Amino acid sequence: MKKYVLPTILLAGIIIFAVLAGNGAISTKDIITVISGGGSDTQRLILYKVRLPRIFAAAGCGAALSVAGFLLQGSLDNRIVSPGILGINNGAGLFVLLSALLFPFNVGFKCLMAFAGALLVTVFVSILSVKTGMSKTSVVLSGVAVSAIITSVIDLIISIKPETVADKVAFQIGGFANTQYQIVIFAFPLILIAIVTALITAPSMDVLKLGDEIAHGLGLGVKAYRCLCVLIAAILAGAAISMGGLLGFVGLIIPNCVRMIHKGKSRGSMALCILYGAAFLVLCDTLSRVIVFPYELPCGLLLSVVGAPFLIWILVKNKKRLGTD
Amino acid sequence: MIKIRDLKISYSYGDAFTVEALDLEKGEVASIIGKNGCGKTTLLRTIAGLLPYEGSVTIDDTECRNMNVRDRAKKAAYLPQLIRPVSLDVQTLVEHGRYPWHGNNRRISDEDKVFIENALDITKMKEFQKRDLTELSGGQLRRAYLAMVIAQNADMILLDEPTTFMDIESQALFYEIAAELAAKGHGIIMTCHNIEQGFSYSDRIVLMEERCIRKTGTPKELVKEKKELRSIFGAAVKESEDKELLYQYILTK
Repeated sequence: MKKYVLPTILLAGIIIFAVLAGNGAISTKDIITVISGGGSDTQRLILYKVRLPRIFAAAGCGAALSVAGFLLQGSLDNRIVSPGILGINNGAGLFVLLSALLFPFNVGFKCLMAFAGALLVTVFVSILSVKTGMSKTSVVLSGVAVSAIITSVIDLIISIKPETVADKVAFQIGGFANTQYQIVIFAFPLILIAIVTALITAPSMDVLKLGDEIAHGLGLGVKAYRCLCVLIAAILAGAAISMGGLLGFVGLIIPNCVRMIHKGKSRGSMALCILYGAAFLVLCDTLSRVIVFPYELPCGLLLSVVGAPFLIWILVKNKKRLGTD
Repeated sequence: MIKIRDLKISYSYGDAFTVEALDLEKGEVASIIGKNGCGKTTLLRTIAGLLPYEGSVTIDDTECRNMNVRDRAKKAAYLPQLIRPVSLDVQTLVEHGRYPWHGNNRRISDEDKVFIENALDITKMKEFQKRDLTELSGGQLRRAYLAMVIAQNADMILLDEPTTFMDIESQALFYEIAAELAAKGHGIIMTCHNIEQGFSYSDRIVLMEERCIRKTGTPKELVKEKKELRSIFGAAVKESEDKELLYQYILTK
């Protein structure tokens, strides 16, 4: 249990920092007063309607995307895979664009559409992968192909209706500036169910790590489990994307970091992904709103600044393995 | 017991793999011997449930294709030729051998511990149990995976080229282990390149050539089939009385 103490303390500390940091109009003392039941209407509004939903969304998003990345990387035996590679992000992006086209002022609907897009693309990629043999390569190539098709549809829509591009750009960068409780309440149960399912079935991931044939010999339905992983990852990514937009690198950075510091069983790795993922995204979101205060950077921008160099580092570190794949 | 009748597997390039009839019993070591590409691994993978087939393959009278993957794993363990050194300690790897019995509700029980300890003992891997697989030699790695398969406690144990990367001493240890497991009632079915080893350490030999079985029998029976052996391997074997020799059966022209 020792290995969970540090990330738990870290997450708790970052959440406290996130609650207290930000707009100077509300001080630490005010926050304590509001929590004790006092404070003005404005202070209560800032804490309960702005900061807390934002923290919940960032924490949920970080945990969901990290576990989604862990599941995809583990089940497809590829450390560079993330929901983006499988076209899940592009699917969500297309549906956001469609919602901007059809219902430009309905924020809640946009989130729902993002989730539906992510899920639909995953189901489609899964069917395509099953039809092409459900191997590690066929799943990735199916995702890349579907992603390419969706990108061309997105470009087509933007060419015909250029006014929709603003919504798409904001969504693609990602962030929690406009987080509302409604979407958090909608996304959280899905994230919870998906994460619990992933944790329950984690011993299968340990067995799958040994290779498809050995896993089969040990009694694991390899194709079925791989399908389940992709589906859980889609639910997690869809729910996360609906809250925070396309936050690209979380699903890539956190699982790879966890693998480096924890070499034990997958259930423990997943638990660490949840804690570090939540802590990392809450920290990034908090920094994004305090670094250039009183302005705010999109959280996704900060993530990309950290994530892109990290991706290059993984590529360099795995050059031997990548060279033989 | 494994019973194969009228088995046919079609390859994408047109040729078919066929077995008219083959019975493999518990309590004996059976070696499938043949040249590269003759279908040894195909036969093993079919029994392991990895390939679709026509005809009948039964394990204890249950048709293989109708078996649930976990039920099959309880009856027949399978270790492929290609294994990989993932970052994992030997003890945890051997614990994975208990997966068919628990699935995802895995808690290592006292009964499991007995199987795990026994597997580590029998393969002489106890001293390496805390060692990461990436730090083992090729032969030690194969022994670690063998321990996992033994911990699985399946009636039949299917091993594809089990002595690959093993030095002479480890190979001898492996054949001792195979004999011990057979004496305990397990059926060991393995593919083998080395005719001398196959004949010397097996109770039953399955001779294969060009995707079908040419002969089956005990080493004593098949050693007489010199013409058949020469046509398949370009060499025959003879039984030796010399106790100094490493193998009881040696190659002849």
